[in-house]
Amino acid sequence: MGLRAIGLAVLTAASLSSAGFALAQEKQITMWSNWPDEPAKKDWVSARVKEFEANNKQCSVKLSFIPKADIYTQAKSAVRTGQAPDIFYMEPDQPEFLAGGFLEPLDSYVDLANLEDWAKPAWSSKGKVYGVPVEAYTVELYYNKDLVKKVGVDVPASFQLTQAQFLDLVKKGAAAGITPVSQGVGDRPFPGGQLLFESLLRKLGSDDYAKLLNGELSFKDPRVVEVMNWVKQLVDAGAYPKSFATLKLGESHFYFYNTPGALTFPDPSWFTGRAFAEPEKGGMPANFPLGIMKFPAMDKGDCPQCKTLAIGGSFVMFSKSKNKDCAGAMLKSMATPENGTKWIGEVSLQSGLKSDQDKIVSPRKDYFAELNARNKDAKYFFGTPLLYYRAKCADTYVQVMNNAFPAGLLSVQEAAEKMDGACLKK
Amino acid sequence: MPEAMALNVKTSDREASTSARSLADPRRASRVVLAIFLAPALLVYCGLTAYPAFRTIFDSFFTIEGVEASFVGLANYRELVADETFWIAVRNTLIWSFVAPVLDVATGLLLALALYAGVPFARFLRVAWFTPVLLSYVVVAILWMWIFNYDWGVLNVMLRAVGLDSLAASWLGDPNLALASVIVTHAWKWAGFNMVVCLAAIHSLPREVLEASELDNCGWGEKLRYIIVPMLRPTLLSLYILAFIGKMKIFDLVWIMTQGGPLWATETVSTYVYKRAFNWNTFDLGYPSAIATVWFLVVCASVVILNRLLGTKERLEY
Repeated sequence: MGLRAIGLAVLTAASLSSAGFALAQEKQITMWSNWPDEPAKKDWVSARVKEFEANNKQCSVKLSFIPKADIYTQAKSAVRTGQAPDIFYMEPDQPEFLAGGFLEPLDSYVDLANLEDWAKPAWSSKGKVYGVPVEAYTVELYYNKDLVKKVGVDVPASFQLTQAQFLDLVKKGAAAGITPVSQGVGDRPFPGGQLLFESLLRKLGSDDYAKLLNGELSFKDPRVVEVMNWVKQLVDAGAYPKSFATLKLGESHFYFYNTPGALTFPDPSWFTGRAFAEPEKGGMPANFPLGIMKFPAMDKGDCPQCKTLAIGGSFVMFSKSKNKDCAGAMLKSMATPENGTKWIGEVSLQSGLKSDQDKIVSPRKDYFAELNARNKDAKYFFGTPLLYYRAKCADTYVQVMNNAFPAGLLSVQEAAEKMDGACLKK
Repeated sequence: MPEAMALNVKTSDREASTSARSLADPRRASRVVLAIFLAPALLVYCGLTAYPAFRTIFDSFFTIEGVEASFVGLANYRELVADETFWIAVRNTLIWSFVAPVLDVATGLLLALALYAGVPFARFLRVAWFTPVLLSYVVVAILWMWIFNYDWGVLNVMLRAVGLDSLAASWLGDPNLALASVIVTHAWKWAGFNMVVCLAAIHSLPREVLEASELDNCGWGEKLRYIIVPMLRPTLLSLYILAFIGKMKIFDLVWIMTQGGPLWATETVSTYVYKRAFNWNTFDLGYPSAIATVWFLVVCASVVILNRLLGTKERLEY
């Protein structure tokens, strides 16, 4: 009996000490973030990780910044083999991760009250929320106030040109040797379609635009053809740079506010991620005369005040993570109104996290005031085309609407036929 | 007893000697020895080549969504037959495979002949022409994207400088020019490799044959046409077939420079497989596996046919 008691005591002591050791042992989670070349966003993420590590000594984070396309490719391979990081960057336009069962619902980890109500649906499925929507954005039409004035166009008090006025702006810019619209599709699948699709939204209104994106309305609809004809006129008038096919997103920023300079720049409001970097890091010059106008109002358009709102950069948890406690705690510490406020102040961009407008500290107050003024009466439509398009339809959008049509390689009829062939539900 | 011992000693000597011979000569090695030596290479081959190949063929009969796989038989192959983009990719890949190697080999041969003929600065040129071979596809692609840039690319700048503004073009943005532009870029990268191989082959040609042709007042053109090229035929064929196989799998350069665009004008089978596997908002590996399987068979068949058609049983005697 004596020996047995001693044995039990040794076993208990060993179990307790190993448990204590496990408790004391630091767990490291891995986290992949986008934005390696956007200093403000990179700093925000790094600061959140440092704060988390300072408050959670038992958890450490191995943080990597990887370009977006590479994250998607790597994550697609990694989840299949169970090698994905505990937390990774994702946008709602990659629904296959959720459909494939690779994302962990965050309801039990994150305080959902800290997320904006309009942001949750982008990451919701079957009543659960799967992503922390850090970044939200609207699609904006930035312009160079001085150059637009120089070519002889006065932006009205409504900040919205008509179809004819915008065509006139393009023609005047081209005649003056100034590129009217800085845009390139060298490394992105969407920018070439922005002008056309924002115009289609304003022409069709939210309901019919949703039908178009869901394949329930033909691209041969007379209203769609009318808008496409107008965009074709812009293209033929020389709206886009000749280097449109190879110009990368980062380069199109530089093209707009440095060399050679352009009149306008359609870009989601994540514009600030690059533009508000130091000029020596490729950012916008301090004295750049930046203005924000509304996308043109379409003739007999159903909804001139419509604009696209979307969720961008978000963070998700891998469903097979072995460190869900630390990963959950990390996401919880990130998803707070304080951090939403900091994001808006530091990155100058909207957030799907709740925020306190009164506490925003930003050196870009003027910019914010202008952005808020443009969005004041906006009627939001949720999601860009690639959030709706899938598979062959998405590929056709990328090749046709993003690239060939704005590059002037296809007629309106050809482009409409290709889109209907790939997207229209029979 | 001593006799028996002597016999035993002789037997063990013989065994030792046989064993030593079997190690020295693999043809006499026992199966165990062969297995021990082959095992590491076989393991690597099976793990990294054979298994992925068989798994790809296996996967091609399934639709795989996330972690769920469902057997669909030949459905992926039937879909492939009706896939317009696949056939565009096949057409482009065949253009790459049959046309680009001619350009590669011809350029390499011309450069080698220039060096053989003793152009000025031959030593410098040999290094300069070979340098692109050492560059990665990423560097080469970015370099040539700059060269092809419409606004400030050196190609258009030069054209404009000599008054040929009308010829300035969006080389990578025009569906009629994009494929040719990428092929030229590829030829530039590999010309140095073909040059080195051709140069080595030229230097190994028998001098007496070349001297005899000179004694017969054979000019450079004739010497090239009737002597050098025929004697280099095996080398040129090997280079062509190597280039052909490489082009059937071309991916890197196209992906970096055009991602298959504009309007699928530069789409190759490899870029299409990649897009279907990673860029189509789906985790389905079944369909891209079907494309890869079909193309694997096409490449194998093409190499056999090319070897039959272009190979010659006549051996040159000199």
